[in-house]
Amino acid sequence: MKKLLVTMLLVAATAATAHAGLRVVGKGDAMRLDPSGFPPAMKANYEIMRVKCVKCHTLERTIVAIQTGVAPISGQPFDRNATKAYGIKMLRKPDSNMNKAEVKASVDLMNYLLSEAEK
Amino acid sequence: MFLKKNTVAVMFLLGVSCAPLLAPGTANAIPAFSRQHKTECSTCHTVYPELNEFGDAFLKNGYVYPHKKDAAKGAAKAAEPGNEWSIISGLPQQIPLSLTASADLAYDEDAVDGNKLDLSTRSITLQAGGSFRDLFGFFATYNLYSQGMQRASSLTNPANNTNVPPSNDPDLDELFLVWRQALGSPVNVKVGRFEPKLSLWKKSNRILPVPSYASTTYRVGASPFSSDATEDGVELNALLGNRLFVAGGVVDRNGQDREDGYGHISLKIGGTDFKGQEPEVDLEKDSLWDYLSVTLGAFGYWGQNGEFNANGVAQNLNSFRRIGAEADILYQRLHLKGSGSFGRDSNPEFGVFKAPVDSKAYTLEAEYYLGAPVNVVPLFRYEYVNAGDGTIKRLTPAIAYAPLQNVRMSLEYTHSIAPEGTGNIAFASIAFSM
Repeated sequence: MKKLLVTMLLVAATAATAHAGLRVVGKGDAMRLDPSGFPPAMKANYEIMRVKCVKCHTLERTIVAIQTGVAPISGQPFDRNATKAYGIKMLRKPDSNMNKAEVKASVDLMNYLLSEAEK
Repeated sequence: MFLKKNTVAVMFLLGVSCAPLLAPGTANAIPAFSRQHKTECSTCHTVYPELNEFGDAFLKNGYVYPHKKDAAKGAAKAAEPGNEWSIISGLPQQIPLSLTASADLAYDEDAVDGNKLDLSTRSITLQAGGSFRDLFGFFATYNLYSQGMQRASSLTNPANNTNVPPSNDPDLDELFLVWRQALGSPVNVKVGRFEPKLSLWKKSNRILPVPSYASTTYRVGASPFSSDATEDGVELNALLGNRLFVAGGVVDRNGQDREDGYGHISLKIGGTDFKGQEPEVDLEKDSLWDYLSVTLGAFGYWGQNGEFNANGVAQNLNSFRRIGAEADILYQRLHLKGSGSFGRDSNPEFGVFKAPVDSKAYTLEAEYYLGAPVNVVPLFRYEYVNAGDGTIKRLTPAIAYAPLQNVRMSLEYTHSIAPEGTGNIAFASIAFSM
């Protein structure tokens, strides 16, 4: 019985490691990603997303799009083409206060998260 | 002293000249869309009711969320199986109704009745908008109540005087259906009462809907026609490619066996295209066109109206035309709008003996968006009107503040220069939608 329990815990731990990039903390408006398993560059990108994107919408909207592959409002596929289009949309919004480097960092992060979600 | 003293007659004339500009602004901005698509007002608006680029694409797409056509059906079926009735019947899942209300305060030191501070202007408007699946879009605005300068039915508006047969209620400002991409063609067919597509912007598509732009709202003589009035008609419009929009239609005018005709063309260079798609931007290099968009528009309207006799037949007819050109320039937080219109009326006083009048009007407006999200917009508007009875110039600095996306406060000050003298009016307004 102990052996089975240990095996199950190991499997569970392995699974958690495999989806470390999409570990979600909190619910609704407070939903966040746990970046502890991100590569260093993506951790830095996540800081930009965490601070900039929530000025206008919750992170839940972004996380749900990545998890489901569908943008929650438009219903459009949320893939690599979409991440760049949304990045450009936010860059061009008069009030986003995001420069190109920040938008590129966010797009790179979303692409990374999409790859992680596909695993 | 706040105002230069002039005669009562001068202020009366200025008041009369400004009164049509204070007709209530009907809004595109309706929370019904927000509820339907579960998204915030800023998806389509800067400070409501002014549309942003995506909002304009939503409007041109017949009130259907751009690019949602197939995905919406699929997602709804998969995620919400209990809503199959809506997909099969085409009925909206939410009741598509909204209310917009406003209360205004006007200060006029030379008010004719001596009531300098006027708090008695307010209005409430019922709106409906949405789509039946992706085949039809619909929109309606009904003036439930208005009081003071904004009282629509007390003004000589075209709906009241030229399109609505006697004993019909003129408070139905808009009611139309758009058959989207009719019979598989790229052509949308709009039928009902609507603002004919002439200007780049609907009259409600402003940071300050009141007053409307002189270039599209001016009237000549006794003729109630203005370019931005709602009228009963049929319009065909279509997107040619992603950046060229054309529209043309006919307007039914009561009391005569003749229809008015109009046409519009607009071209967008740079920025989000008319289908709501973002432009290609290189995230590694900078370019002026990353943030710049320029929209150019032109329109023409040819019509005929007259004074109704006791039998409701138009007589002493006035043939008129308007030609206009406009530009909309957006660069980051700076938004510039320019609008010019020229016209000719053969008999605008509906006299037995015709006295033709040439007219022209221009509006220039500069807005600057502040805040993230945008919640403060200072703007400056310059207007020039010559409708055959002398030149009137208006200079309007203003500021709008939206503490919430559905609440807008504005403060504006208008300095008018007319042949009879100068005038100054301060106008504060609070509006909210729900």
